[in-house]
Order: sequence, then structure tokens, then C-alpha cells
Amino acid sequence: MSHVSSKVTPWEARRQRPAKGKSGSKLAHESAEKHVLGTATYIDDMPESAGTLFAAVGKSTIAHGKILSLDLTAVRNAPGVVDVITLDDIPGEKDIGPVFKGDPIFADGVVEFHGQALFAVVAESFEQAKRAVLLAQVRYEEQPALLTIKEALQQNAFVRPAHSMQKGNARMAVQNAPIQMSGELYVKGQEHFYLEGQISYALPAEDGGIKLYCSSQHPSEVQKLVAEVLDVPINHVQVEVRRMGGGFGGKETQAAQWGCIASVFAQRLNRPVKMRLDRQDDMVLTGKRHDFYNRYHLGIDENGKILGADIELAGFCGYSPDLSDAIVDRAMFHVDNAYDLNNARVIGHRCKTNTVSNTAYRGFGGPQGMIFAEAMLDDIARKVGKDPLDVRKINFYRDGGSTHYGQPIEDFYLPELVAQLEHDCDYRARRTAIAEFNRDHRWKKRGLALTPIRFGISFTIQFLNQAGALVHIYTDGSVHLNHGGTEMGQGLFTKVAQVVAHEFDIDIDMVQASATATDKVPNTSPTAASSGSDLNGKAAQNACQILKSRLVQFAQQHFQVNAVDVRFMNNHVVIGANEDSAQWISFADFVTLAYQNRVSLSTTGYYATPKIHYNRDTANGRPFFYYAFGACCAEVEIDTLTGEYKVLRADILHDVGRSLNPAIDIGQIEGAFIQGMGWLTTEELLWDDKGRLQSNSAATYKIPTSVDIPEHFTVQLFDRANAEDTIYNSKAVGEPPFMHGIAVWCALRDAVASVADYKISPPLDTPATPERVLNAVMFCQQEIRP
Amino acid sequence: MFCYMLDQLVRKLQSILRTELSTEIQRCRAMPPHIRHNGVKAAPFNRAVGQKTGVSVIRFNLNGRWIEDNKIDPNCTILKYLRTTMMQPDAKEGCAAGDCGACTLMLGEMTERGIEYRTLNACIALMANAHERYLLTPSGIGRAGQLHPAQQAMVDCHGSQCGFCTPGFVMSLANLYQQAGLHAQQSALTDEQIHAALSGNLCRCTGYRPIIEAAHKMAELPVCDVRDISARSGVQTFNPQAENVSPTSPQALQEVDGRRLFMPLTEEQLKALLREYPEACLWAGGTDIGLEITQRFKQFDTIICLNRITTLAQTQEQGGQLWLGAGVTYSQAEHQLADLFPSFAQLLHRIGSRQIRNMGTLGGNIANASPIGDTPPAFLALNATLEIDGNHGRRDVAIDDFYLGYKQTVLQPGEYLRAIRIKTLQSSESLTLHKISKRYDDDISAVMFALYLDVQNGIIEQARLACGGVAATPLRALKTEQALIGQPFSENTFLQAANSIGQDYQPLSDVRASKEYRLQVTRNLLLKSYLELTAGQAGDAA
Repeated sequence: MSHVSSKVTPWEARRQRPAKGKSGSKLAHESAEKHVLGTATYIDDMPESAGTLFAAVGKSTIAHGKILSLDLTAVRNAPGVVDVITLDDIPGEKDIGPVFKGDPIFADGVVEFHGQALFAVVAESFEQAKRAVLLAQVRYEEQPALLTIKEALQQNAFVRPAHSMQKGNARMAVQNAPIQMSGELYVKGQEHFYLEGQISYALPAEDGGIKLYCSSQHPSEVQKLVAEVLDVPINHVQVEVRRMGGGFGGKETQAAQWGCIASVFAQRLNRPVKMRLDRQDDMVLTGKRHDFYNRYHLGIDENGKILGADIELAGFCGYSPDLSDAIVDRAMFHVDNAYDLNNARVIGHRCKTNTVSNTAYRGFGGPQGMIFAEAMLDDIARKVGKDPLDVRKINFYRDGGSTHYGQPIEDFYLPELVAQLEHDCDYRARRTAIAEFNRDHRWKKRGLALTPIRFGISFTIQFLNQAGALVHIYTDGSVHLNHGGTEMGQGLFTKVAQVVAHEFDIDIDMVQASATATDKVPNTSPTAASSGSDLNGKAAQNACQILKSRLVQFAQQHFQVNAVDVRFMNNHVVIGANEDSAQWISFADFVTLAYQNRVSLSTTGYYATPKIHYNRDTANGRPFFYYAFGACCAEVEIDTLTGEYKVLRADILHDVGRSLNPAIDIGQIEGAFIQGMGWLTTEELLWDDKGRLQSNSAATYKIPTSVDIPEHFTVQLFDRANAEDTIYNSKAVGEPPFMHGIAVWCALRDAVASVADYKISPPLDTPATPERVLNAVMFCQQEIRP
Repeated sequence: MFCYMLDQLVRKLQSILRTELSTEIQRCRAMPPHIRHNGVKAAPFNRAVGQKTGVSVIRFNLNGRWIEDNKIDPNCTILKYLRTTMMQPDAKEGCAAGDCGACTLMLGEMTERGIEYRTLNACIALMANAHERYLLTPSGIGRAGQLHPAQQAMVDCHGSQCGFCTPGFVMSLANLYQQAGLHAQQSALTDEQIHAALSGNLCRCTGYRPIIEAAHKMAELPVCDVRDISARSGVQTFNPQAENVSPTSPQALQEVDGRRLFMPLTEEQLKALLREYPEACLWAGGTDIGLEITQRFKQFDTIICLNRITTLAQTQEQGGQLWLGAGVTYSQAEHQLADLFPSFAQLLHRIGSRQIRNMGTLGGNIANASPIGDTPPAFLALNATLEIDGNHGRRDVAIDDFYLGYKQTVLQPGEYLRAIRIKTLQSSESLTLHKISKRYDDDISAVMFALYLDVQNGIIEQARLACGGVAATPLRALKTEQALIGQPFSENTFLQAANSIGQDYQPLSDVRASKEYRLQVTRNLLLKSYLELTAGQAGDAA
């Protein structure tokens, strides 16, 4: 036998116990040890090839207007500058819009937002490039800028046409209802604040092609756009992503521009080019979660049951469509959250503004729709004088019903989950205790809220619901795994490797997940929509099953046994029906034998999500394969003199089906909750009246810190197998728990409402900063003043 | 099972050897020739600071190896040097502004008690800060298979997801581990200690819960003392006192392409330098001015670092007066003010982050003259006296007279802020401080509120109210003070006085708050201060 890596545990030692790290085990993240040592390599950590140049973009200083002249003489003459490009220097396609056109790589004669890229520079150092871009002389003819949703609505400025969904007759139902009510909510967007900023590193390759390392959730799209921009066939470009330092949707479409610019320079100069956005450029130049301005007219009965809902949503899309069509659609899909609106009309507007083009962000519009559902339910509760949880319960969907887009309600066990959390977190007793606390305290008030989540899983663009994988088995029994999903910290590589270990019943350390690469698995979908493990797990499983069937077939012939008598077990292949006489062959020896008998040990796997269909013209169908459920109960305390607050407690019960990895799933839930809480509390995007982003740094945009997390914080998994045939009956987990943060906002509003003895539902746009909380408190104080 | 563990152990050991070897080879290849480390025979160390001998050279210990380099630009940050020149990318750049903590490192200094460490943001700390100091980085305090307890606990508790912020968290935790004495003895940490240590580390993935769990968990793991790593190739003792300090203009510590950095050890040297370079950039903590380099890509021609001048870092209490050297860091002040001015010490816990408090100084906060500095309102309320020294001789200035306008002070070129003097409080006196910001930790004030009161026999004898964030400079509220002075110490007095706030302050709206909120909350803080001062006496104060 030739040399065996010292990393490989002897096979004999692996026989006596079940294989380690299979699906369902609480395995650490595959890179955990490298993370803590700082040796996990991100793109900026890669050794730079000799001659590497550094790119930076010159930004516009107005929000809207014509570019009259662009004088780059001083830029070209700046120290260290090697090359400067403008739109005219792009060899191929100049528009890198991902779905719809409208995203020129540099402003095309007209500036559409403050900070838009006008040109790019490469220099010998990053600092030289950054200094040089400031030297441009630009003359503009400034034009009025649209900076708010309301202005866009007034002027009918949209990036895409409005869309509507209907069920029954909402207008009639509202009109005929015993109680009618209206309300609105402005929900601000959110900066992704991935810790690793956007970055691409382009290396010149054969025939004018490019090898691009890009921190992207969608390498196939970057590959396609780079090819188009360079005017080469797609097969001339390879894009590789080993890991990202966070993505959250911000690197789904918006990593491409920087990869394209780096590639253009690399091709022009035949030199390696790195394009890294520093934090401020990243915040100014890339899109964020959409603001939404939402309005409702409701018809309800005296118990608070919704009879009809007429709802209008308007998303703050920025200057171009990007993914906004699908994002506003998803907000519309989720404006019912868990509640049967009975009769509903939902309209979604895609407002065009002279701001950066907003993009995907964890939840993809869903949170902005769902929070509005919860706002409505709270408003109803105040109106009819009931506990908000009771009003929520009477409005829950029931199996057999259908949504406002025609998807049938089935396997709807959310009420059961909510009841369990209500019991476990002692909701009723705490409600009483809080009422007492609020009576006894003049300036401090507490609030409580228990809110549910029902989030649809699948890309609502049907063709994206497919994935590929590539699995090789080598003769030492080690397995190489590749799939179309990208690793951004969510543990996808770990989970899919667990699937492979599970299928072959081998230890996880025999499975090596490798960098996502467009030349290994082609035409991939973005790692987005929470779909990573659903799609890629199934594709990898498919590849394993293909290989297993080949191996079993080989064993049948070789050992003259039946297929059922070939089992993969404890890192071995067990041949024979009889327990005592069965032959145990180590996985390595077995695959070597297969290899020597000319069995192919490599295959691709493929998966396409079944059952889903949606006709957008009729706004009807089954866009989602299934729904993920969860509920969160949050308790807060506010200071009615300053509006400051503290989240005292949060209890979460969340449904991930049969968990692929409970440790990773709980990590996703906790992290998503805090990110959702940040969105609705401390994180505030702000533009000035010139359209300049004011919240443009970590000093002015505040994501939560460790002290902001609830003093008492529990997360439990609701253990029930997904009724749909997902990978080991698990459920997607990336996005759904983000919306648990809504419970914090509802609890803050509950605390404020106590000031007016819960008689009114205080206005509380988001984020609920201390300033907005204090304003809401003062609103209540004025309302109750005799 | 035992076989398996043994096997694991052998594998780990082998992988360590391989990793060590390959990184070592890579580094030797990568290192430019002007850099010497202890693999190469190092020349005897010449003191570059304060002496006219030898060449300008930065000398520091990185994870146990002494390194000398005489080609470092004075504007070069520690992070940039490690990531580019040293090709050691374990510390990450998340914001390059000292706000996210991904670049957090431990900086050790030899003291009588051995090497003592503190964390800093390597992204805005100059390489000069590392001179004659011991730097520790994530890949230095542990190795694959032999992790530091902070690292092991982070792995065990699932404390990393994307991993980009993780090295910074690890260093903050490892520093806490060392400071809390866990290297000598296992003991439990409080949540408060943990939050304080992590206040400057942002994580976007985990929601912090597993990281806090890891902090508790690391205290239960087998002990580890990182001083052994720093001391691996010998400890150098640098004793400025033992050396012949030249009172005349000292030699530059760094001099590259006409840009130079000086690191005076005495005020005499500082004055001599100020005579020669009156327009030099005075660098105390550098937590604000560092951003000029990393955000605006400015390069200073002449930098004078103030943080090795021992007389500026002293604190003295004498005759009812507290003398605070301008170079006292926030972290030092947190300890020194804890007894005499507990509310001030509490406020300091909320300034910046642990890393920033380890770097930033009281003097810097005052002389920076930002309208949103957190300590100037407190010093205004305490009627502090500022000692100024320099080319024009020493003078005292009342802090009331110090600020001339937005970012403008009475400091002339060639002058520096030497110390702050405040009177200690009598039993009738109080200092109430409130910081209002969107986020509790590591945020800049929307309003910083500071109220000094002297209440005798139920009458307010003296009142000084000063706020930040309400005007172009930190500003006293003279009309409101007048509405308080001479009045009974009662809720009504404070409610009435609050009506004067609008006459004292005309704040602006900006990214932190609207002008309306700033006024309203300032009014309300007056009442809140009263309620807090009377808490326990007046029943419902909470």
C-alpha cells in the first residue's frame, strides 16, 4: 500500500463506532479552527501575485444630472496611477443589470445617484488609487432628484410596473365590515454590514479570459457578466469563491460590478488587479434592504377577526430595477404572514428614486411585508381591546384555506408551535406581571409581544430552483465535494459535507468541501432565498446515490450477492446477508477495488425543486415548496423620559424540520434574530436632502453589539419532520428567523401603548430608535391628556 | 477510543509541524531585506528614541520574534504593516476606523509585573505604537491542534460563522483571559467583564450569544499564559529612565521619504520638537486623527507621538484637587475616577470600546474640540482648569474659555495640553451624567448631558449644566443654570428650569438625532437627573 496521509485515521479504528459528523450531528463549522486562528483565507488574504495593481472608482458628487464633462488628466498623472477607464473603455456589454437592464458599469452620461461610479483607476497601491480618484474634474448639469418613496409615488416614478394579488373582494368586504380601520407604517431599509467588504481579484487567463476570485453569492452570474463585459464567451471566465466574510444578500448581485471592473483592467493590462471597496465606498456604492411605505384599509368584526384587507406596499428601489421586482413580490407574498385575510387585495409599487439601487437582503422583502401584518394585528388588538396574542390566534390560517396568491394551506401547524411557546415562556403570567410593573412605575414601562413567522421557501423565479453538485471519490477513500452553493458563514459547506458523510456512512473528515467554482459546477443559482442546503444538499445526495448505485452494482457482480446485502456502514462496506459471516471492507479498500475494476468514482448530481409553479400574470399558483414556521416572545423596558430601552428577554421556538445540524441551525436563528432586532432598533439609514448617504460608516450606522442582546435569550428547535421531501426532511433556516426581530418592535410598541393604557396603537416607524420611541410616548401622552 | 485519540494527537502534531514550517519558509522568502528578525542575527539594539545614536528603526516583538525595520513610513498602521509587508493576514480590516474590532491585537509592555497586555485597533494604530512592545496576533497565540483557550472555547461554542470578525473577538477574549488572571488560575468571569471586553467587536452573523458562552467557557479550560509566547526569543528591557535622555531635539524614530515621526519621552523633548516643528501633528491616542490616514488617505509629514511622555500619563490627588495628565487613557481614567467621580467612571465605560479606551486619552478628547466628545461636558460641569504648556510658556485656562468655535480652541501652534485639574466633590455636591445614543456601547452621543449641583439645606446653591451635541462646541446652559440656582431642590424646580433649555441650545439635526429630539431629551434629562438624585428618597423615582 502506498503512503496514506497522516490525516487519515486508520480504517480499523473507524469500524467500531458509527461514522462521525453525519447529518443531524452538532458539528462545528468546517472552518472553525481556521477562523479562530485567522488563517481562513479571504480574498484580501491571498498572497498577491507579482505586479498586482489596485483599483478604485471615482464617484459622482450629485444625485441626479447630466455629466457635461469628465476631465481625468489629473487622475492619470497622479502618483502610482497605471490606468484609468471610463464607460467607453468597456470592450463588451456596458450594462450589468442582473435581470433587467439599467445598471451601467459606470454612469452613462447621466448620474442617477450620489456616489455613482463614473470611472475607475488602477495604481501601484490601494492608497494611491484612492487618492487619485479624488482629482477628477467633473462638470454636471444638475437635475431635481427624487429621494423619497412619497415623491416617487406622486410623480409615478417606478423602476417596474406595479403588481397586484387578489382573493375574494377586498373592497366590498372592508365596506361591509362592522369595523373599518386604516393605518400606515414606514419601514426603513438596512445596510448589510458584512464584515468583509466587497472584493474581487482578477488574474489574466488564456485567450483574453479571466480567473476571478470574487466575494460573491452568485459566481455564475458574475462569470456571465464578466464574459459579457469583456466580450468573450462564458467559458473563458472562471469565478471562484472559497468563502465570504458575510453576505446576507448584499453579495448576490452587487459583487459583480467590482469583479467586472477588475477584470477589464486585468485584461487590458495583462496584470493581476484587486478591487476592494473600503467600508465607506461599500456603504455608498452598494444597495441595501428596501425601505417600504405600507398602507392598509381593514374590515374587521367585533372580535378582531379580519374580514377584508386592502393593502398597498411601496418599495424604495433606488435608480434601477436590480432584483426589486422579486423583492416587492415577496413583500406582497408575506403581508399576510400567518393570518387569513379572507378577502384581500395587495398592490406592490416599485418606486424609482435617485439613490443607490437597493438589493437582496436576508428575507428579500418578506420582513417588510411581515412586519406590516404584525402592525395590523396590534392595531386591531388595540381597537377591540384584546390581548394582541388572542387577536393573532383567531386570525391564524387553517388547513384547507388558501392565500391571496392561491397557494393552498396545508401542514399548517404554526398554531401548535405558538401555543407551545406561549406555555413555555409563561406569556400569560408575564403579561399580568408587566401590567403590575407598569402601574407601579412612572417613567419605566415594560412591553411584551409574541409574534409568529410563516415564511415561504423557494425562489419565486421558478428556474432558479435547481442545483448541481460534483462528487469524486479517491482511492484512499477521501471524498471531494463541490456544489453550486457558496459559503458565507451560514455553514452550508458543513451541512452538505454532512449529507455526503451520511450517504456513504463515512466520517466527515473524509469529505473535503472545495471552493465554489464555475468550472466545476456550471450555471448555478445564487446562494440565496434560504435555499442553499435544500438545493445543494439534495444535489449532493443525488450524486452520492448515483455513485452508491454504481458501487453496489459492482459489489453484486464482484461478490455475487444481492443488492440489499451490500451496506455502507461505519466507514466500511459490509458485504453479505448474514451478520456473522458478512465481510467488512474499509471504504478505502472497497473504492480501490472498484477503481481497479474500472468503476467510475466521479459524478455530478442534480436537483430541481418539485411541485412549484406560479403564474405571475394571474398572480396565482404555488410559488413556495413549503413554509418555515417559528415564533418569538420578546420583553422590553423603555425609559419614557429618553426613549432608551433594553430588551430584557427573548424566547424563540423555531421550526427547521429535522435539523441537518442543530448547532449551526441555532446559530442561524440567534444571529438572524439579532440582525432583525438591529434592523428595527439601532440601525438607521439616513440620506441628506442632497441625496448623500449620511450613515456611511461604522461610526454612523450602528449594528448591535454584545451588550444589546437580551439578558435572557433562549432558542429551541421545534422538532418535526418536514412533510415535503426535502433533504432528510429538514427546513431552510437562513432567512426565516430574521423576522423574529419583529417581536422586539411589537414589544416596544406594547410598552409605549401602556402609556395610554393600551387604548391606542402608537405610531412607531422603524427603526425604533430612542428618538422614535420617545416621540411615540409623547404621542400617547398627548392622546390621553384630558 | 484511546487509539483514536492518540491517533488524533499524532495527526495534530504532524500538522502543526507542517504549518509552522511552511509559514516560516513563506515568511523568509517574503521578507524584504531591510527587515531583520531573530532568525537572522540581530545587531545589539540601539535605543532609537531620544538619542542621537544609530539609525531610525522600529523594533518590535511579533508573536515572540523580534523584528527591526527602518523603512516603515511614519503613517503606516500596524494593520497595514502586518498584512502587506509581513504578509501575515490573520488580523482583518473591517472598517479601518477603529469601529468594528476585526483588527484587534494585543499589545504588551514590559512592566515590573512582567509583560502586561491591552487590546488595540491595529487599523488606526501607528507602527510607532508597537515600538519596543510585544504584539500578539491570532495565529501567534495558538496553532492548529493547540489552540489558546479563547480560541478553543470559540470553536467548542460555535462562536464563529463567517469567521471574518473572529480573529478580533479571539484577541479581545484572550486579552480578557490574561487581564482577569485566568492564565494563572481558573475563575469565573462576569457578563459585565465580558461585555466590556467585547464592546469594540462587531459580529454580524452570530448574535453574540455563543461568543459570550465561549468567554465563560474559556475560563474552564486548561490554563495558558501568552507571556510565554511573547518571551519565546527573549525579553528586552527598555528603561528610559536609565538612559541619557537628551533634552535637545531628539532623533526621529522613523524617517522615510521626508516624512518623520518623533516619540519624545519628556516634556522638554516635546517642547524642543515643537520649537522645531510647530505645525507637527500631535498624536496622542490617535483614535480620531488616525482616521485622517485610513479614511481620507492623508499623509502627515511630521508626527509627534505624545504617548511615551510619562509625566503626561500621571494622575495625582492633592488638597481636594485631582490632577489628570492629558495623556491618561480612558481605560486608566476608568480606574482612577472610580472612587472620586463614580458617575464619570461609569460614563467612561461607554466611551468608544475597550480598544479605543486603551488608546484614546482625556487630553485628546478635550483638545480635539469635537462638539460631540463625551468628556468635555463633564469637565465643563466640573469647572475644570486646563494646564497648557509649550513654546509660549505654561498657562492655566478655565475650560469655559478653552473652546472658541467648531473644532477651534485657544491652543496655539507650538502649544500642547498638559493636564486637567478638577476639584473633588464634597458631600453636598454631585455630578450627574447622561449619554444618549442610538446604541448603548461604542456609539457617539446624540446628546451628552453633564450636571453639577451643590445642594445645601434643600436649596440649589450652585449649578453647572453642560451638554455636547447641542451646539458647535460643548456648551454650558447658563440660563438653565440660573433657573436652578437659589431654588429649592424639588421636582418643580427642575421642570421649570427645563423650559430654559431652548434658550440655551439651538441644536442641529444630523445622522444621530433631530434637533427636536435633542432639545426634548435634554429637558427630560434634567428631570431624570433629579429623579436619580432622589432615588430611594422620593418613592417612585424609577
